[in-house]
Amino acid sequence: MTHEVLIIGGGLLGCAAAWHLARAGLTPRLIEARGINAGASGQNAGSLHFQIERRFLEPGGTGHAQGGDIVRLNRLAIEEWAGLEDQLGRPLDIHMHGGLMLAENEADLALLSLKVARENELGLPTQLLSGAEARDLVPRLASHICGAAWLAKEGHANPRILADAFADAARASGATIETQSRLLDLRRVGDDWQATIEQSGQITTASARHVILASGHWTARIAACMGLNIPLYLAPLMMSVTDRTAPFLPYLIQHVGKRLSMKQTDDGNMVIGGGWASAPQRMVDGLPDLDAPPHLVPDNLRANLTVAAGVLPCLRARSLIRSWTGMTCISADQLPIVGEVPAAPGLYVAAGGSMFTLGPLLARMLARSIIERAMPDEIALFSAARFAHLNAFVVQP
Amino acid sequence: MIDIAIIGGGPAGQAAAQQTLAAGLSTTMIDEQARPGGQILRQPPATFAVKGWMNGRLYRPLRRLLAQTEADTRLDWRGETSVAGIERIDTHFRLTLSGAHGGTLLARRVLIAAGCYDMPVAMPGWPLPGVMSAGAVQTLLKSQQVVAGQPIVLLGSHPLLLVLATQLLDAGADIAAVLMPQTYGQIARAALPYLAGAIFSPGPLIAAGAAMARLRRAGVPMMMGARPLGFTGDGRLEAVDYTWRGQTHRIAAQAAAVSYGFLPQSDLPRQIGAAVRWARPAGGWETVCDGAMRSSIPGLYVAGETTGVAGADAAMAEGEIAGITMARDAGAAAGSGIARAQARRARMQPFIDLLRAVADPGDVWPQATPETLLCRCEDISVAQVEATMARLSPMADASAVKHRCRIGMGLCQGRSCEHALVRRIAAARGCDPDAVAPFRVRFPARPLPVDEIID
Ligand SMILES: Cc1cc2nc3c(=O)[nH]c(=O)nc-3n(C[C@H](O)[C@H](O)[C@H](O)COP(=O)(O)OP(=O)(O)OC[C@H]3O[C@@H](n4cnc5c(N)ncnc54)[C@H](O)[C@@H]3O)c2cc1C
Ligand SMILES: Cc1cc2nc3c(=O)[nH]c(=O)nc-3n(C[C@H](O)[C@H](O)[C@H](O)COP(=O)(O)OP(=O)(O)OC[C@H]3O[C@@H](n4cnc5c(N)ncnc54)[C@H](O)[C@@H]3O)c2cc1C
Repeated sequence: MTHEVLIIGGGLLGCAAAWHLARAGLTPRLIEARGINAGASGQNAGSLHFQIERRFLEPGGTGHAQGGDIVRLNRLAIEEWAGLEDQLGRPLDIHMHGGLMLAENEADLALLSLKVARENELGLPTQLLSGAEARDLVPRLASHICGAAWLAKEGHANPRILADAFADAARASGATIETQSRLLDLRRVGDDWQATIEQSGQITTASARHVILASGHWTARIAACMGLNIPLYLAPLMMSVTDRTAPFLPYLIQHVGKRLSMKQTDDGNMVIGGGWASAPQRMVDGLPDLDAPPHLVPDNLRANLTVAAGVLPCLRARSLIRSWTGMTCISADQLPIVGEVPAAPGLYVAAGGSMFTLGPLLARMLARSIIERAMPDEIALFSAARFAHLNAFVVQP
Repeated sequence: MIDIAIIGGGPAGQAAAQQTLAAGLSTTMIDEQARPGGQILRQPPATFAVKGWMNGRLYRPLRRLLAQTEADTRLDWRGETSVAGIERIDTHFRLTLSGAHGGTLLARRVLIAAGCYDMPVAMPGWPLPGVMSAGAVQTLLKSQQVVAGQPIVLLGSHPLLLVLATQLLDAGADIAAVLMPQTYGQIARAALPYLAGAIFSPGPLIAAGAAMARLRRAGVPMMMGARPLGFTGDGRLEAVDYTWRGQTHRIAAQAAAVSYGFLPQSDLPRQIGAAVRWARPAGGWETVCDGAMRSSIPGLYVAGETTGVAGADAAMAEGEIAGITMARDAGAAAGSGIARAQARRARMQPFIDLLRAVADPGDVWPQATPETLLCRCEDISVAQVEATMARLSPMADASAVKHRCRIGMGLCQGRSCEHALVRRIAAARGCDPDAVAPFRVRFPARPLPVDEIID
């Protein structure tokens, strides 16, 4: 039997794509090497950040143009998140009460006003607040905070339950989801793709018209085994969480000049991150081990918490109860890579970006590009075709 | 950088320190307690004068070792300090410390001799104030000279309860009952295969017999084969319910001491990735080591209960072996007693096996109800955990369950509930607990004030 669509990976992207495809009657089959949500989708910060990210504003960075493209996508993502609980018919701890990107000094403030002007031009309704106005919203902000960019629709959601909700909905619509099922090999046979799969020690094969590599930071390596170059690079990150405290912060906090994301969960814990690196474990040949959890880098933990307590001094009275690490990937131009790979018709990828914030939207777009046999205009910019030149000299095994 | 860091000032850590100090190696000992001694000799504060403290014959070698440790000026003792993190950097280790001597410590070799802790057992009413682990009751008694509450009921499958009962009698406490779920017959059958070997360790056996006789003389009601049903009370413990000889009983109590066994401290070995295995029979994770106490990580050694719960004498012997091995591996003038210590440790094994067999909670676990909390930090009930497990594939590991219902996400990070969750997953899958991937242990091993990290 030939599947219409085979999805590799049961993270947020894979599960959401499975749901959209199943609803369209395509009865996709999803295989996941470990358990649903066991990868980055269950380990991330859960931030819904729609302002232009700090990384696109880094001085001397090349991210300026990309920042604009991302804003267009973020506006769509806001709508996507706002409708998600209704669509999936269950609570998902989605909080879109607003987000503040903080400035601590004049240089920060200058960057922030440029950013707000640009966002407003692009139709994103960010507002520049004074330090006092920011403290009206969050009285515990440090007194030296001199300004903030406010976006009313930012917030956070619970990454521990979202992929499950998509997986359950996908199953209910007819998708097959198999865990402990690892893709070992994928090759072209005639018009179809033939997959070799290991399921609890058994090797099976399956063929499919369309294959989606929704395999997170494994995507580039799987593609490489197929002789395809997808420019995705490892981003090993770390997160921290403190003990609980009474609710005081309904907003997402970011920083325009430093790496920081911070929020308070429904349970009262403070979750702190912002893109600080962890150190991947290495295999004997020195390559990063994609399956092993990266090591915490203590200096980065200290730096991250220093930034956090710098803007929110009350954190000093909290205790760190856990830190964790996880891996994701970024693309060569920092924008997500979504859609069919030109050198491999029928093979689709979706990776390389803030795929929690953008995941639900991009999964829907990806499903549409299979259902409609055409890339939706909204995501044309993110098409894998922009890297087609990298596959000009390769021969697929 | 120091030569040797020893985590834990119990018998194992102290015995190791004697060896490394004698070999001329710079040695730092870190312990959360103010004074060395570990669990078995939990000392009163230095300002207390306690007459006849821990005077029993079996404690004498331990007290001798303790006196030597405290008098040894070469030892860098850092009390009231927790080790929150351990990492390997190139060929040495970095410890993150919290408390009185907070900061980081670099060491060429590390011994984890962190002991064990009372296994928390979920049963109806167990979070009520007044319900305590036997260890907590004993610690209050040993170090603070305080009886936790009276009348007190002692219950569980572990013979430590007998020792605790005599210590409580010495303190003049009113013991309402000792409830043990095994019958004498079951105990005898469990012990039989090990008795012949155990005569090499007559001390503890004689002590146990003497304790029984003493309790009987004192008129303490000993109910063998009694199954605890749970604890009741309005805001605090008022009574213990149990069945005995086919009937349900209720006995009034202000305090209860529970003991079904002990779990090795495993957070630091697991944080650094040392090989561990499911400890039998009580559960938890013991760190794997070779006969010379080397863990699977070069430069990292383990001794005492961290390697499996085996009692204070075994901890002392293992500490000595570890100390000599560390000195040898460091190329220092090591002591020559390693073979003797290993033989001494080997002779104890039959008694250890006997004690484990007798204490085995395997067939006599108290029953939790669906409302019973399994995770006390996050208030997660048995029913919530079971519903979560039912939604997942049977192959889902402990972390998958945790992510979905928050079991183990609180202050203790699973120290209290992880063993019970893994047991449930194994039972549902019909596999050995060793086959279930437990939680991933992360930094820090203890809640760490943000203030301490960033300064
Ligand atoms: C610490 C951290 C913080 C982050 N914070 C944010 C944030 O705040 N906001 C945001 O937008 N993004 C954030 N991200 C990024 C975000 O988490 C990811 O971009 C997103 O989760 C990717 O989802 P995914 O489904 O593509 O990948 P994953 O969730 O990684 O899923 C991929 C799945 O594929 C499976 N798989 C791999 N190989 C195979 C194979 N051969 N066969 C079968 N299955 C396979 C894996 O087991 C895995 O479950 C963060 C990431 C990390 C690590
Ligand atoms: C309640 C209780 C009663 C017991 N009664 C008996 C008995 O009657 N007879 C018997 O033979 N055995 C008994 N044991 C077992 C007893 O623990 C040992 O036999 C003996 O004390 C083990 O020695 P050790 O050196 O391995 O560990 P311990 O004596 O437990 O010493 C470990 C030390 O490490 C410290 N530590 C642990 N983690 C950290 C950390 N992260 N940072 C800093 N310090 C840390 C602890 O504070 C502790 O002082 C009992 C155990 C318990 C828990």
